[in-house]
Amino acid sequence: MLLLTKRFLAFFLISLALSAAASAQQPSFTVAWSIYVGWDPYQYMAKTGLLRKWGAKYGVTIKAQRFDYAPSIDAFTAKNVDACAMTNMEALDLPAASGVDTTAIIVGDYSNGNDALLVRDTNTLGSLASKKVLLVQKTVSEYLLERAYVLNHADDLLRKVKLVNTSDSSIVAAFLNDSSQAGVVTWKPLVSQIRQSKGVTTLFDSSKIPGEILDLLVVRTEVLNRPDGSGQKFAKAITGAWYEMMDEMSGADADKVLSGIAAVSEDTLPSYKEQLSTTKLFYKPSEAYAFTTAPAMKEKLGLVRQFCFSHGLLGANIRSADDLAILYPDGSVQGKGDRVRFRINASYMQLAAKGQL
Amino acid sequence: MFRVFAQPNRQLAWIASWTLFAIGICVYLRTAQVRHIENPEDHIVPTVKQLVTGFVHSASTPAEEDDEGQLGEHPSVWQRIYGSMLWKDTAASGKRFLISIALMFPAVLLGLHMGAFPWIGRFFIKFVLFFDKIIALSVLPILFIAFGIGEFAKIMLIVIGVAPTIILDSFNLTKSVPTEQVIKGFTLGAGDLCVAYHVILPQIWPRVLNSIRLNLKGIVLFLFAGEMIASQDGLAYRIALLQRHMGMDLIIPYVLWTALLLFVVDLTLKVIIRATNPWFREV
Repeated sequence: MLLLTKRFLAFFLISLALSAAASAQQPSFTVAWSIYVGWDPYQYMAKTGLLRKWGAKYGVTIKAQRFDYAPSIDAFTAKNVDACAMTNMEALDLPAASGVDTTAIIVGDYSNGNDALLVRDTNTLGSLASKKVLLVQKTVSEYLLERAYVLNHADDLLRKVKLVNTSDSSIVAAFLNDSSQAGVVTWKPLVSQIRQSKGVTTLFDSSKIPGEILDLLVVRTEVLNRPDGSGQKFAKAITGAWYEMMDEMSGADADKVLSGIAAVSEDTLPSYKEQLSTTKLFYKPSEAYAFTTAPAMKEKLGLVRQFCFSHGLLGANIRSADDLAILYPDGSVQGKGDRVRFRINASYMQLAAKGQL
Repeated sequence: MFRVFAQPNRQLAWIASWTLFAIGICVYLRTAQVRHIENPEDHIVPTVKQLVTGFVHSASTPAEEDDEGQLGEHPSVWQRIYGSMLWKDTAASGKRFLISIALMFPAVLLGLHMGAFPWIGRFFIKFVLFFDKIIALSVLPILFIAFGIGEFAKIMLIVIGVAPTIILDSFNLTKSVPTEQVIKGFTLGAGDLCVAYHVILPQIWPRVLNSIRLNLKGIVLFLFAGEMIASQDGLAYRIALLQRHMGMDLIIPYVLWTALLLFVVDLTLKVIIRATNPWFREV
């Protein structure tokens, strides 16, 4: 017995020492991702060894860990993971608003119809007044609804719509089974499920606000700026891996790769392709770089920031939208210079575009 | 000190029973302090000041979705509280809660009849036993078809979730009333209903109330689940909304407020049981 314990202890100590040695050699980074058309590739990258390959090139270990969406952001904000896939809106109102300085290094795609306002028995925004609309409040769904009204110059009618906060896990059943609900705002694949039902039409979708709902890979700025430079190595490695993945997804063997991606997220190839069709994925780093550095980026992100502020999503200690400043790739700051909490860093996409990774 | 027959004196007993509270509060304060030194904008563990500000704010200003102007120019303190977010949510949840509690009483009567009248018992018991094992939350889509997603659906979720337990408990309590007493009732000339309502019910009544009391948490659990799934107001609706941007400075006051309300309801039921059934000493 004693011998066993001793052996166990020795084994334990050795393995501890080994893992310590390994981690001393190679800094390890964790990427949190959740099921979404634009993020599903991360799991595939881990599975097919792309992350290992690029990690080895830069001498870092990269792990991809799947979460549910909200917990992934919680884990990122609590500093339990180093990088996380999230939308621009969540990046602003969760980590950045909680004082966790956040940097977006990959602008992967934007929603180009993935989010939609669906209605039954009506086809105007005005007729939704005093009727019920189901949605997950304080998310891109509410942003989309607000933009729909603003773009149709019907801002005053928006206040009359009765919003019902509905969990995304039951929003499809809740809308389809209760015909007293006039409208629903949600995202794919839920949108596709609802659309199959009779008498449901799409009144507005995110293809009418291109480039406003962005899907990013964000890294904590302190991780990126680690004095030993490992954070930057990690950023280079993950960006390199990502664009190799993009090449595969748009290359000759695309269908095989796409069904592989669909499989890891327990989806089917047709369904995944259907979601891709309403997602503007930047397959080329040059496209992503051009989009990120375009002046329109500031305007669009500014709208999202204003939405977050006017809905109180930035927290009680933010007195004006400018208290949460955004640093853009050209060095300009939107908001107060001493309160930069969110940074868009296009340099890794630029390196990828130049083929220097 | 740690003997079965130990008799803690008053002061020490008082200290002992509050120790864990003190430790909990100290750990919290320490965590909040450390996190705020590291990151002054931390949302996750708010300081006491933030909590108080959050509570005062929620109890004195209307909810975001309501009109700020509805209070008029210079509202009095009561008008402010009455129009506040906290009051609105408490009233909405409270209404659902009270209706659900009221609906537990028909469940008690069903249990009583099932226990007292064998035919009614045979008719219902298997079905109720079966239903008791169904996790109401797992058949939500069916509930949506049957009841929509309005107020009715939320109350039905609670009833389906908790009523079978209450029915079975009343049934068992009824069964446990000694047969001798029932027979005695009949020999004294009582009818069937008279035995059920005048011999059995008064005896099981305090235990039934106690059973409802013990199920309060279940009721609130289903109430919160319902409100988090789909709603426009209520305590859990607010918590679900605030969770989306980690508004812990409001969530923690809401959680404590809910705990306080539940404590008060529990205490009230306890007092009612004591006052109306002075012979009953199990509470």
